[in-house]
Amino acid sequence: MIFMTNTSEKPTLPAVIANAVSKYFGSLQVLKNVSFTVQPGEVVALLGPSGAGKSTMLRCINHLEKIDGGQVSVHGELIGYQRQGDRLMEMSDKRISEQRTTVGMVFQSFNLFRHMTVLENIITAPMMVHKREKAEAIAQAHALLQKVGLPDKASFYPSQLSGGQQQRVAIARALAMEPEVLLLDEPTSALDPELSHEVIGTIKTLADEGRTMLITTHEMAIARGFSDRVIFMVDGEVAEDVPAKQFFESPQHERSRQFLAQMEN
Amino acid sequence: MTNALNTEGMSLQIVHRRRWGAWLLGAATLIVVSTMILAAVRAQIMDLEVFYRYLFDGQIMRGAFNAVVLGTLALIISAIIGLMLALMRVSGNPILASVSAVYVYFFRGTPMLIQLLFWFNAFPIMFPDLYISIPFTDVVLIDQRMTTVITPFIAALAGLSLAEGAYMSEIIRGGIMAVDDGQRSAARALGMTHNQVLRKIVIPQAGRIIIPASGNQYIMLLKSTSLASAIGYLELLRITTDIYSANFRVVELLAVSAFWYLLMTAFATALQTTLEKLFPQR
Repeated sequence: MIFMTNTSEKPTLPAVIANAVSKYFGSLQVLKNVSFTVQPGEVVALLGPSGAGKSTMLRCINHLEKIDGGQVSVHGELIGYQRQGDRLMEMSDKRISEQRTTVGMVFQSFNLFRHMTVLENIITAPMMVHKREKAEAIAQAHALLQKVGLPDKASFYPSQLSGGQQQRVAIARALAMEPEVLLLDEPTSALDPELSHEVIGTIKTLADEGRTMLITTHEMAIARGFSDRVIFMVDGEVAEDVPAKQFFESPQHERSRQFLAQMEN
Repeated sequence: MTNALNTEGMSLQIVHRRRWGAWLLGAATLIVVSTMILAAVRAQIMDLEVFYRYLFDGQIMRGAFNAVVLGTLALIISAIIGLMLALMRVSGNPILASVSAVYVYFFRGTPMLIQLLFWFNAFPIMFPDLYISIPFTDVVLIDQRMTTVITPFIAALAGLSLAEGAYMSEIIRGGIMAVDDGQRSAARALGMTHNQVLRKIVIPQAGRIIIPASGNQYIMLLKSTSLASAIGYLELLRITTDIYSANFRVVELLAVSAFWYLLMTAFATALQTTLEKLFPQR
């Protein structure tokens, strides 16, 4: 699975590297020297009890949260900062925005632009940021809606869709930017089991295509079903970083065992 | 056993509870109101003929037109001032935020009438000459007495716009804060710059939220133009008082001006309703 999408000869750079990332909210340290690597084509489930810092870690990868220590890089490019001597200076708003286009993000609460139709939600960023022609953006949007199974919803407003449909549109919107890495922050937590199912199906399709994904979730169907690796976080630290199979069959940590026992209930 | 469940398959008619108390109160209200109207008609509180004669009087209509122009221009300018102040306030920069807060405190904290009098009477005393030139050259753009520049219209427009700008900034700030943070995060994550997020996501959504409150402010402004009568601007109230101080038909003329203010309010309300329908809450 890991090198499925990279058949070329050149050595592959990791898709995401988090190196000793730390982050404070006021005096509270929410991330403590978090380090991990995600290879291209890998699907990594970021698990842990709530408050462990999973979502914050995810938001640090595209600089929606500013880190206070360490580095994050995507395909070898330092995110949010550039090195000047022995210091990391925060980049301009414009440069950071450009970097974000390589990292797609899907949110727990969908966050579709509620004043726009489904189609406008998908085409706005490609047209504004990638300067794509309108006709081209529309054609791409229709193809993506087809892919997520909502070909007839282009002219609907988000409020007219079910939660599951909204989340699938949100996935299409993220894909429209053609990101190299997709971050999914609790993509099914706001949905009831039936609606979760359709969203999980969509995410699984993306996994099968070999997309690089980092997913925070409490959903076993994702974590156990098709993740390659599990990073288990507790109290802002990485407690375990192992292949998914190993995590579920022989968890090493006491907290992992407790967590799994609760998850399986 | 009248409360027992009907098990015999017969269909019983359902009668909802009637709210007799409210209807009785309504009837009493109607009696009071009609008694008052009847008393007013019997007492002949005004001469309808005089009322009709002045209703479409040229001067009166000119005054009403001036009020609408003044109120509408003031609304537009105050919306621009308000947007700038609101953006300063939420910018996160302590200097910009405090300047905005102090502005709002001053202009919201002093009576509008005092502000109008200030711009018309006090300002030209403080700065008797208006002299604007292009720096480092000899080109002079304006060199005039302040009293000729500050006409009653300019003073009224400045006074109303600057004061209303303070109120609008709070309304717009409320609208901006009401836009869900997730909307901003999503737009940022798609690679939009700060300004693009503001233009494409925050302002359109905040705009919809502030329509009802802005309609309210428009009505307030249209009526507040009557304050400009104090500095001699020929708006509706000034013309009305000028006429009745000559012919003493106080009741009729005040009724005429009230009619025109009501008409303006109806226009503003219709405008607000149209905008709300044009941009429905999603």
